[in-house]
Amino acid sequence: MSTQLLEINGLERHYEMVSGTVKALDGVDLKINAGDRILLLGPSGSGKTTLLNCIAALDSPTSGIYTFEGEKVPQNNTEEMTTFRRENIGYIFQFFNLLQDLTVLENILLIQELSGGRDEKRARELLLMVGLEDEIERFPTEISGGQQQRVAIARSLAKSPKLLLGDELTGNLDSTTSAMVMEVLVEACKAENITTVMVSHDESLSKYANRVIRLDSGRIVTDDNL
Amino acid sequence: MVGVFAGIAFGHYAHTASTMYDEIYADSEDGINLPDIWVENPRAVWSGDQSDSFCEQISTQWPESELVLNECESRLILDGMLSIEEDGNTKLIPAIWHGIDEGYVDRVWMPVDDCCSGRLASADDEVVLDAHVTEGMEMEIGDTISIGAGHGMMDFTIVGTGYHSNHLNFAVPGSLFPADSGTFATGYLSSSGLERLANISSGSSNRLLIDLVGTPDYDLLSTDEVEGNELVELIVGIRTTMEGVSSTAIVYDRSGISSVEFLRADAEGAMKSYPVITGMIVIVAAITIFLSLQRLIQSQAKEIAVLRTLGIPRSAIMPGYILAPLGIGMIGTIFGVILGLTLGAPGMQAMYEDLIGIPVINGSVPYSSIAQIILITMLIVMFSGIRPAWQAANLDPLDVFRGQNEVRLTSRTIQKLTARLPTTIGLTIRSSTRKPIRLAFTFFAVGLSMLLLGSMLFMMESMEQMMVKGIEDNQNWDSQAFILPGAEDGVIDWAESNDADFELYILYPANPEGDSRQLMTIGLDEFATSGEDAMQVLSLAEGGYPTAGESTTQVLIDNGIAHFLGWGVGDFQSISFGSQNVEIKIVGITDGEISRTVYFHRSDLAEIVGFEATSVLLKIPEGVSSEGLGEVSVGIVEKQDLLDTFTDLMEKQQGFFIAIQFLGIIIAFVVLFNTLIMNLSERDSELATLRVLGAPISRLSRMMFGEHFAIGLIGGILGTIFSIIGTKWLMSKMVQWSFYFEIQADLGISLGLTAIVLVISLLLTPIGTYRIKRMNLVEKVKEFSN
Repeated sequence: MSTQLLEINGLERHYEMVSGTVKALDGVDLKINAGDRILLLGPSGSGKTTLLNCIAALDSPTSGIYTFEGEKVPQNNTEEMTTFRRENIGYIFQFFNLLQDLTVLENILLIQELSGGRDEKRARELLLMVGLEDEIERFPTEISGGQQQRVAIARSLAKSPKLLLGDELTGNLDSTTSAMVMEVLVEACKAENITTVMVSHDESLSKYANRVIRLDSGRIVTDDNL
Repeated sequence: MVGVFAGIAFGHYAHTASTMYDEIYADSEDGINLPDIWVENPRAVWSGDQSDSFCEQISTQWPESELVLNECESRLILDGMLSIEEDGNTKLIPAIWHGIDEGYVDRVWMPVDDCCSGRLASADDEVVLDAHVTEGMEMEIGDTISIGAGHGMMDFTIVGTGYHSNHLNFAVPGSLFPADSGTFATGYLSSSGLERLANISSGSSNRLLIDLVGTPDYDLLSTDEVEGNELVELIVGIRTTMEGVSSTAIVYDRSGISSVEFLRADAEGAMKSYPVITGMIVIVAAITIFLSLQRLIQSQAKEIAVLRTLGIPRSAIMPGYILAPLGIGMIGTIFGVILGLTLGAPGMQAMYEDLIGIPVINGSVPYSSIAQIILITMLIVMFSGIRPAWQAANLDPLDVFRGQNEVRLTSRTIQKLTARLPTTIGLTIRSSTRKPIRLAFTFFAVGLSMLLLGSMLFMMESMEQMMVKGIEDNQNWDSQAFILPGAEDGVIDWAESNDADFELYILYPANPEGDSRQLMTIGLDEFATSGEDAMQVLSLAEGGYPTAGESTTQVLIDNGIAHFLGWGVGDFQSISFGSQNVEIKIVGITDGEISRTVYFHRSDLAEIVGFEATSVLLKIPEGVSSEGLGEVSVGIVEKQDLLDTFTDLMEKQQGFFIAIQFLGIIIAFVVLFNTLIMNLSERDSELATLRVLGAPISRLSRMMFGEHFAIGLIGGILGTIFSIIGTKWLMSKMVQWSFYFEIQADLGISLGLTAIVLVISLLLTPIGTYRIKRMNLVEKVKEFSN
């Protein structure tokens, strides 16, 4: 039986706009177990990115309860939220967001240094895992988009997060490269025993997930185990 | 605004100084009709008959020249003293008394102003006291004063107050700094009054004042060229005439009168330096506008990209960014003009009046100069906007939407050099050097602002060092008693009867052979570079001490003479004492003298000039009053008074110095602030990424601290070096024969300047930290996904 990693109850996130209150999340209940590979699907404005941001502790919900490993996740305190992310969360961006002035290896080392410990051996192992052992001295501009996203995956794994989040992480890649990146991601997460939550519009990514959650108008409409 | 303000303020000073110089000395009703040539007898006085006959001979033997003699007047000018009450005691202060009847040349200047009133002295017990004295010592018309000129003290009644060309810069002879109140006096007696005071025969004189028709060009000491060839040739001719009748006479033009030369140099220096200072400030302002515009474009990149995507042409985007600096410049200029005219110009005028001590008549900055300042400022401001405008118009919308427009990589060399460092440090260095041109501009602007600040500090410190070292440390005497040439016995008797140490001292004017520029020769008994043995300790920069009695007279020269004449240790040169040329061997070079000086052994110099002393240096035991010295000397200078004079001068200028220093710091802050904030803005994506990935604020702050420390330190060091080189360069442009001064790169000030830039830079770290803290990561992530 899988252990529960996080639990969300009645999560709401409202934005005050000139036109009125927008309910980006409107009472979301969710439990995620260790080892889940979740794909969040939904149309634009359905609230999937907002949910991802709340899970990542990038954003604080308007109301609701969010616990991670049984502990309440900090809200409205940027430093506590940052510490939570540093200790628990890995994040992959759509546009990779590698630091252009650092080599592939340095991009990983930087995160390690900022998180408290440089471990070059592990950094090299991660790059080997994502198939970039020959590119470690290259700069991001010298490698392809797919390779950059694989570096981003390695970077997100560098500090051994418990939960890896990805926001449209293949949105900037062609289908062949997307498939390659997703395979690398799945293999890496299996190897490192990391839970993943990915946001996407792309239904075809369902095959890399073991659970697909669909959102609409800030609510979970389906939650299917595959 | 600051550039225009400074331009108008400094311009006002420069034009005022220049106008004052021209108008006071003019051959006009309001001017004092400054002579064009002076013939001086520094050793003695000529009798009335001699004076008349010399003028007659000069007139009849007038050299072949286009210059026409207008007037030759004889004049008697004597050293003396004024008795004043200070703290209940009688004090004798050095004075110079002129015998001036209602003459045609070199009149007393009594402008229509609160400063001056009364009439010229006509009776032989009347005196017009210099307005510097009456104002400083609160004397007024009708007061009776006790004065002397080597023949006891006599009472005179003040009948007027005014100024004289020789004392507009009211300095004790030998000094350039305006004398502190109660330390020096000058007055203008009738000829008969001065003759009575000095007990000499009627018609005696020691100056012939020669006025020419019009004002001929004269040689400027500040240039290598000879501007007044005609006048130089005329002086040579008159010198030849005088050689036949008085071998001791020296002949010179207006550059030989130190006050006249000081005002000319001040006006010339101000005229030269105000465009430089204004230009510097405007350039710094332009760099600031340039950097600010880049910041603006950076923040508006998305809007520009949207406009470009919607098909708005480049040509439609550019004008806005060219007009923006013009608008900013226009507003700044309007404020600058208003503040310059209402605060800057009156402030500088007040400083001139306070510093020189004479009222400004017709002080103004010409409209043409204001227009020029505005035009140049607007042009520079406009140029500062061209490149940012071009950059704005050429932004690639796709790059902007991808966030690639802000991505700049550091050079491969720096990437390689920092590869082995911890990544956080490597990234810090790389991100600091991503935009080397902008960084170079920033350092240049910081350098200029540090030049404003540093030049003031270095000059003040060097001047203070020179004065403190030159007077407090190097002058071991308490009082200097001036005597008529050869009349030292009375002072020696006084010293011996009061157990005072003394040393005879000769100060005598001369000039390099074939060169009309005047220098002072000094005769000393003892030469020393430290200790208490010698009354006057010298600062020997090169060579050794002279030996007395050599076949070729050995001397020390000051570094100003070495600089201007190219004379060096081991050289044989010739200097002229009137018509007598003396060969000298230079054995050493001294530093620390503002005026041009040649040091002789007194015995050697005495043989040349024909008397033993012109003054006596005295070390007076505690408790002994120098009052009795007045009976046996023609003037007494106290060492403490010289120090007070300098302190007073520094205090008077303190407000101005502080204002300039404050300006320098503000400009450095604004420039650094702009650049560092831009650096941070450009790294928003990087920093947001790191924050999303969990980088703690403390680590990012440390990275920023490292970056700001590096930029501050490098900027500070470069700014300090720039400041030292710039100040030395500025000073090299300002020094001239009568005013030579070397800037010392004081370590304390250099460290202070570096520290200021470093602190300014580090102050940006909390701002950067606050900025990161406030960063909306949700919005940033949204931007990353767009």
